[in-house]
Parts: sequence; structure tokens; C-alpha cells
Amino acid sequence: MNTQYDADVVVIGSGALGSNAAYELSRQGHSVIMLEAGSRIPRWKILENFRSSSRKSNFNDPYPNEPWAHTTFEPDYIENTGSFEFRPGMLKLVGGTTWHWAAACWRYLPNDMKLKTLYGVGRDWPIGYEELEPYYQRAEEALGVAGNGEEDQSGQGGKAWPPRSKPYPLPPDATTYMNQELNKRLGPAGYHYIHEPNGRVTKPYDGRPACCGNNNCMPVCPIGAMYSGDMHATHAERAGTKLLTESTAYKLEKGAGGKIVAVHYRKPDGTDARLTAKYFIVAAHGLETAKLLLMSDVANSSDQVGRNLMDHTGIGLLMIGDQPLWPGRGAVQQGGIFNWRDGDFRKRHSAVKHSMSNAVPNRVVTERLLKKGVIGPELDERIRHDASRWIDVGTVFEMLPNPANRVTPSDKKDALGIPMLRVNYDVDDYAKAGKVIAKEDYARFAKLFNAEIVEDESGWQNRDHIMGTVIMGSDAKDSVVNGECRTFDHDNLFLATTGVIPASGVINPTLTGVALSIRIADTIHKEI
Amino acid sequence: MATNSLFRGLLRAAVLVGAVAVSAPSLAQDDNDALIARGKGVAIAADCAACHTSSPDKPFAGGRGIGSPMGNIYASNITPSKDDGIGGYSEAQFARAVREGVNAKGDHLYPAMPYTAYAGITDADMHALYVYFMQGVAPVDNKVKETRLAFPYSMRWTMAGWNLMFLHKPAAIDATGTERGRYLVDVLGHCSSCHSPRNLLMAERQDAYLGGATIDGWFAPNITSDPVSGIGGWSEDELAAYLKNGHVHGKGQAGGGMAEAVEQSLRFLSDDDIKSMATYLKTVRPIRDPADTKASYAYEGGSALPPTTTLEPLRGDAATGPDVRGVHDTVDGAALYSGACASCHQPSGKGTENQYFPSLSHNRAVGLSRPDNLIMAVLHGLDRQGADMHVSMPAFEYDMTDAQVAAVVNYVEEHFGNPAVHATAEDVATIRAGGPKPLLLKLTPYLMVAGVVLAVLVLWLVVFLVRRRKRKSRR
Repeated sequence: MNTQYDADVVVIGSGALGSNAAYELSRQGHSVIMLEAGSRIPRWKILENFRSSSRKSNFNDPYPNEPWAHTTFEPDYIENTGSFEFRPGMLKLVGGTTWHWAAACWRYLPNDMKLKTLYGVGRDWPIGYEELEPYYQRAEEALGVAGNGEEDQSGQGGKAWPPRSKPYPLPPDATTYMNQELNKRLGPAGYHYIHEPNGRVTKPYDGRPACCGNNNCMPVCPIGAMYSGDMHATHAERAGTKLLTESTAYKLEKGAGGKIVAVHYRKPDGTDARLTAKYFIVAAHGLETAKLLLMSDVANSSDQVGRNLMDHTGIGLLMIGDQPLWPGRGAVQQGGIFNWRDGDFRKRHSAVKHSMSNAVPNRVVTERLLKKGVIGPELDERIRHDASRWIDVGTVFEMLPNPANRVTPSDKKDALGIPMLRVNYDVDDYAKAGKVIAKEDYARFAKLFNAEIVEDESGWQNRDHIMGTVIMGSDAKDSVVNGECRTFDHDNLFLATTGVIPASGVINPTLTGVALSIRIADTIHKEI
Repeated sequence: MATNSLFRGLLRAAVLVGAVAVSAPSLAQDDNDALIARGKGVAIAADCAACHTSSPDKPFAGGRGIGSPMGNIYASNITPSKDDGIGGYSEAQFARAVREGVNAKGDHLYPAMPYTAYAGITDADMHALYVYFMQGVAPVDNKVKETRLAFPYSMRWTMAGWNLMFLHKPAAIDATGTERGRYLVDVLGHCSSCHSPRNLLMAERQDAYLGGATIDGWFAPNITSDPVSGIGGWSEDELAAYLKNGHVHGKGQAGGGMAEAVEQSLRFLSDDDIKSMATYLKTVRPIRDPADTKASYAYEGGSALPPTTTLEPLRGDAATGPDVRGVHDTVDGAALYSGACASCHQPSGKGTENQYFPSLSHNRAVGLSRPDNLIMAVLHGLDRQGADMHVSMPAFEYDMTDAQVAAVVNYVEEHFGNPAVHATAEDVATIRAGGPKPLLLKLTPYLMVAGVVLAVLVLWLVVFLVRRRKRKSRR
């Protein structure tokens, strides 16, 4: 029997991960349809939305939050039942949430992928670093990563690490004055400040102009120097992908032989449609992907779909140092302290990463001074004084997979009648033990910079790095996907999401997600 | 002791003799290397790579589709590959292809290959070019897609008639001396292939030499010495800097095909060569377009800027009011400029202080009497590596409708450029589709109706007349 399909592959979600997979498949001549719940919004419109808003600190504010495609900042969209208010800044539009990331593009270390074997905690990845390395390189080339390949990114001051087959596609940005000055004090104290590889091009690349330091990576790069998923959505379309916007997938249909045969989606006017394909890739964000699988009752023989939710839940330190550092020149972040990235301590407590924000702090500084009642000429003077000396340390902790931390469809429905999200999330003792270490560092930082502490008890903070929800492993009994990101239950269903990551480390997971997505495209290309 | 020193002396002599023996063939090698280097220089000045290199890791392997109004013409593989390239060409065959547009098989090339310009390449340069392509370029086996233009242009033999009319044997030129500039502009640089308008049969109009022409949606400006329509108001230093870097503050910057010419060819030329080109251009017979009243780079708009409150009105909270964040159908040029352009070119349109992001005032692309180049820059952006730096502007073809491009172009013209210029959505649609069609193509369906026989007869008649005229002029 000769079955007719609507496409070779349907990709659900047009963010960085889905778009890269769609592009790679289209480029190799396969017919691809990509579904996107939100709309296509041009950058100039998002910029206009940002400029015309007084809510500059809300990074979701410039982005549409439609009744049929809510962002996570819809008050009811995520119902939290745990001790922690889990609320990542998820967007719904062509290009997805990478519209407002800070474009950190770290690779995992080989040891990050062997956590259980080496340190007896958490889980191992079912694949090794060497299998991922060529795809890391391709992902870096796709995203236009500027990096310093000479440093020990494990933070131990050793040789260049992790190993790479080729240099970064672009040279690193120049070290800002702030970071030069910070290093003068941190270096002698034994802290290894590592340049952050990032998806902001330092030279014209792939139709993107070089970063010129607008310092507005979040909520939107005004010139498109910073990578966002819409770039590969456009590449995919040019290569032949058919992009359907305002089309929310709500059901994967099972067929004979454990295959997925179709996806059902709904338009804002309530009409439904069905698409068939040989392969399906769900690339719908770490929370929404799990929700779609649970709603469809697919891929869940392990009962792990939606469980093991991990973020790099963090804390922060704000202080005013003793010398002007002038944060705000260049990109919003440039590097971090990785002394606690890897080592035997991981048997006892989580890995820890500190990074110094380089965002213009004037708004935060001014709000604080106004609250203190500072006005008039003194206000001007104090803004200049404090803003130039502002040190904003963001810290993240490695989380371990815990089945009780989970996302499920909520009872509340959106305008399409599709369930919203329910999250249950608690911070575990492993991360809490890491926090003790981080606070010791905070005390040392304050001393090194003779600083006035503004805030050193921030409480737990969201870091928007969704992992674990469709966890990868070698055993179908305790994992949702195998090392190829293929679901154990359906051999034509792949999941392109950072939700597959089984061991979180402390690095931003998007680059790894893109590398895995390109690998999915290669796997499908070989089989189809 | 004595034996020892004698032995040493002999050894030294032997080494000396050996050195002389080695240096004789190495002199010849040096000559050949110099010849290859010269040929490479000719290939760069002639910008062969512009068409014949489609991927940088396979230089000259061909395959790039040159968009012609009649369809894509695929550039051939000119590496010394025996199977797919020109590895089997003799120097005479090579020279014939370059100067006369006839390949080794005897087939006519389409004049997308600028052989009417290359006809003037000197014998010395042609020899160096041949040696470079045979010895200095790596052979790449790459079969190039066959060019298949629509009937009647698929009949390559008709080019023989075209050549009779338009391929002229050039007068001898002092290519290394006083006429170096003209040689670089007319022969190697083939500047006129873009900058001279073409006649009904797509040949360059000699009466409008370098007078400006549309090509692939861009307008290759008038580069005659006229101070209003041409480059008469540019100093030689400015022209030289433009050719080398692709931009001059207060005059303009290169986009489209000119950006490619700077990137792949002009930035590598010696300062002397560049200067000779600038000097020559300043002597080209001036041509004035009656539509032009002042130099394009002199314009700086006229209207006052809208107030900031108009450019960036305060938007209410979508949680309590209407959500307009997804509505992007405005045709308000001010709003479009503010969102798409002002981050780099600044709300004032004056660019950044260091002009890395250039001013839109005193800028030829904006001040020209026609909006083509501004529309093309908005639609396709630009990316140009000059001798001094690499710049890029993003493309807005996916981000704006034709009406929106027209609105933002008109806002820029009104406030920063030539207020008399007005673009319509239809203009943008035409340019988006690759520019206006030449008359010949518009007439083609009628020609087809009238019958190919008639067309052939006409062509025969033309050829006959030209021959007779030539015979007459010889008498």
C-alpha cells in the first residue's frame, strides 16, 4: 500500500530547536511542515513594543500574549502547587523564546554527562561528549557563536576544555572595562573568570550585523546581531519548509505498530485540522512538549513524561563596589566564575556558577534610590555614583532529576479549550547544599570589592532553563527518549527540547538543545 | 692538518657549484611564479570570481546562476579540470573565449560574460591569465548546470549576428602606462557592463557610456564626470577611497553588485591602480540627466522630524487594555523608521558619530532621483568587506510588505534625502521581482506571434546592413 502523507516530517514548534531541525531536513530535500502556535512578528514591531512600554523590566511585555497563544506571563497560565513559584519567560511566536535570551552558548563538559558514574548522584547521559561534539560544532556555526577556545571552561585554570574539533566560528568580543577590573581582584583571589561563548556575532555573519553594544539582549536585540530562532525559521522557509502560524498542536494520534500517524492542531477561530507524516518532531518548549504528550497519552509507558523538571534555580547578590566599573558597555553578560563547575564536591553538593551581569543598571538603581526618598540633585549624583559601581551577581545551581518535580496539564483552559500548565517544583537538598558554598563566595566577593551590600538574600529565582521533563536515558522503563531523542514508545516520534537533558550541569542548555536537534535531523535523514 | 683544510676547501667549492646548479632552474621558477602572480592580479582586476566562484572553498568552479532578464545564465567552470573545466583549452582557445565569447566547442557565450570589454585585454595580460588559470588554480570536477534560456534566446548561434553588431575590435591601449586607468575601467573592470544603459538588443549604448543603468533591481549610478548627475563633484581621493573601501562619508556607499566588486576585486588593487581609475573617471564625457537638479549626495531632506511622543507613543498595559503587540500592518513611515532603522542610523538619520552606521543625508543611495537603491537596500540589506572594514545591514524583505517598504523609503527621502522622490508599493513590487523588464523581453511575445522566421529575417537584414556599412567604411 502506498500511503500518501502531508509531509515527510512535521515539526511542532518554530523556536531555535524546531527551526534548526526543519532547516536541516529541508536542506536535504525532505518535505517539512512546521507548526507554530503564535504569529510571525517582525523585529521592528517587537522593538516598537519595547520602546513604547513603561514596563521595561518585564521581558515578556513586548511580546504578544494572545488568548489562543499565551506566554507564561498570563497570570493563570502556570498554576504552581509546589514551594517554588516556577515561571520561566516562555514566548509564543515564530522564533520562540530565544527572542529574549542572553545567548550564552556553553557546551557541557564530558564529566557533566557522567554524573552518576563519577559522583554517584543524579543520572548519566546515555551518550558521551564525543558523540555530541560534531553537533556542538554545527550548532555553533548555525547560531554564529563567538567564543574563546583557549580557556579551560571547566573553571579549574587548566588546559583548553572541553575539547573541540574546530575553532569557534567567530572571535570573542573584546573584554569590557568592567570585566578587566573585576578580574584584577578576582584572579589573585583564585577565581577563574571565563569568557562566555555567545550567539552574538562579532563580525557580520549569516545576514546579521555585528553586535554594536546596544546592551538590550533582553528583551530584544534591536539589530538582530544576537541569534534568535526566527532566523532559522526563515532559513527553513527559504529551503522549502512550509510554516503554519497560529496553529496550536493539541493531539498526537497513535496508529498501528506504535507509530504516530498524525498531529491535530487548532486555529484561533476554533477550526481543527489534521496532518499526517512519516516522522514527527515535537519542539514545543520543555513544558509544552510534555503537556502535549500527556494530553495525547503518548510516549509515557515509563510514567516519566512531565517529571524530573529541572531549572538552574538560582540566587542573586547585589552590591555597590568601591570603584567605577561602568556596567552596560557591550552585551548584557560576558562571562562567569566556574570554580565550582566540576569536581569531587559534586558527590556532596551541586555545581555552582556565578556570573556578573553587564546590563545597564540605571533603572534598578533609580527605583531603589526613589524608594529611599532620595530626590533632587542628590538623586542625579547618586544614580551616577551607584550605577557606575553596581555589581550584580547571578548564581545558578545544578539540580538533580526528581520525579516529584513535574509539569502536568492544568484544569484551566485557554481560549482554544486547551489546558494550561500546572507545575509542582521544590528545590532539593543538593542545590541547597550548593547555596551554602555560594554564600561563602558572596562574603568573599563583598570583601574583595569593599562593597556595600544591597541584597544578599534574594530567595530562589527562576533561570528559565527547562530540563528533564521528557528525560533521556538508556532504559525505556525510566526514560522517555533514548540517546537519539527518539521516544522509546514510538519510533517515528522525536523530541527536540532541552527537556530531554538528564543531567543539568550549570550551563545554559540551548546550544545543547540545538546540537541535539540537528542530530535528530541527521538521524531522520538517514532513515527516511 | 693541510689535508684537512684542502678537503674543507673542496667541500666549500662543491657546495658553491651545487648552489649555482640549483639556482638556474629556480630563476625560471621565479619567472613562472611572477607570471602566475600577474595572472592572478588580472583575474582579480577582471573580477572573474564574481560570477565563476559560487562557493569560496571551490574557486572558479562555476555554477552560479547569473540572473538575466531572459533567465538564469550559469557561469562555467573555469578551473583546469579536464572533464568539467577548461583544462583542455589551448591558449588560443582560452583567448578566443575571453575576447570573442566563443568556447572551445565553437559555441557562443551569452554576453553575461563581458567579452565585449575583455576584447581589449593585452596579449601579455592574456598570457599571464592563461598561465594563472592552468597552473595557479586548483582543478575542480564540478559539472555546471546547463543554461537553458527560453526560446528564442536559446538559439546561441544568433549571438554571432549580435557580435557582428556589438563586438568591436578595440584600438590598441597603453595598458601599463598613461592609459592604465581607462584599461582598468573599460577592459578589466568592465564597469560599463553595469553602468552603461543597454539598447533594445541588450547591448551597451555607446552614446550613454557610464551614464547609469538599472541592473537586477539596483541602479548602477551615472559615473561620468558630470557634477550633478555623475561623479564630477567627487574628488579623486574620494573616488579612490570609495573604490577601495566601498564607502565615503558625505558621498555614499556601495551595495549590490558594487559591494561585490569592492569585496572581490577593487579592495585588492594597488593604490596606484585605484588612483589611475579615479583619474580616468574624472575625464569621462559628462552626461546630465535632465531630471537631476543637484548632486545626489547634496540632499539632506527638508521636513522637521516628528516629536518623540509621535515616534514612540506610550503604549498601555495589554493586561488592562487592547493588545496591539501583534498588529504590524502600519504604513506609517515614522513608526517603521523608528522600529527598523533608527537603532543604527539614529532617529536623526545622521548615523553614528564614527559613521560605522552611515548618515542617510548626504548619501547618494538616498539622494538619487530614483528610489531603486534605497528600496533594494531595505529589501535585501547589504554585506560588504572593504579594504578598511566589513559592514552589514540586515534585509527587511520578510519583515515588511511592499507598502511598508514604500512608506519607510518615503519617510527617509522626505526627512533625510531627496523629498521629490516618492516610491509606491507598485515600485517596490517591481523592484522586489528583480527590477523592470527590458523592452526586448516585453516585446518577445509579439515577436513570437509575428513568427520566428520574421525575427530571423530581421536579424539577417540587420547583419547584412552592418556588413555593408563596414565594407563601406573600409573603402
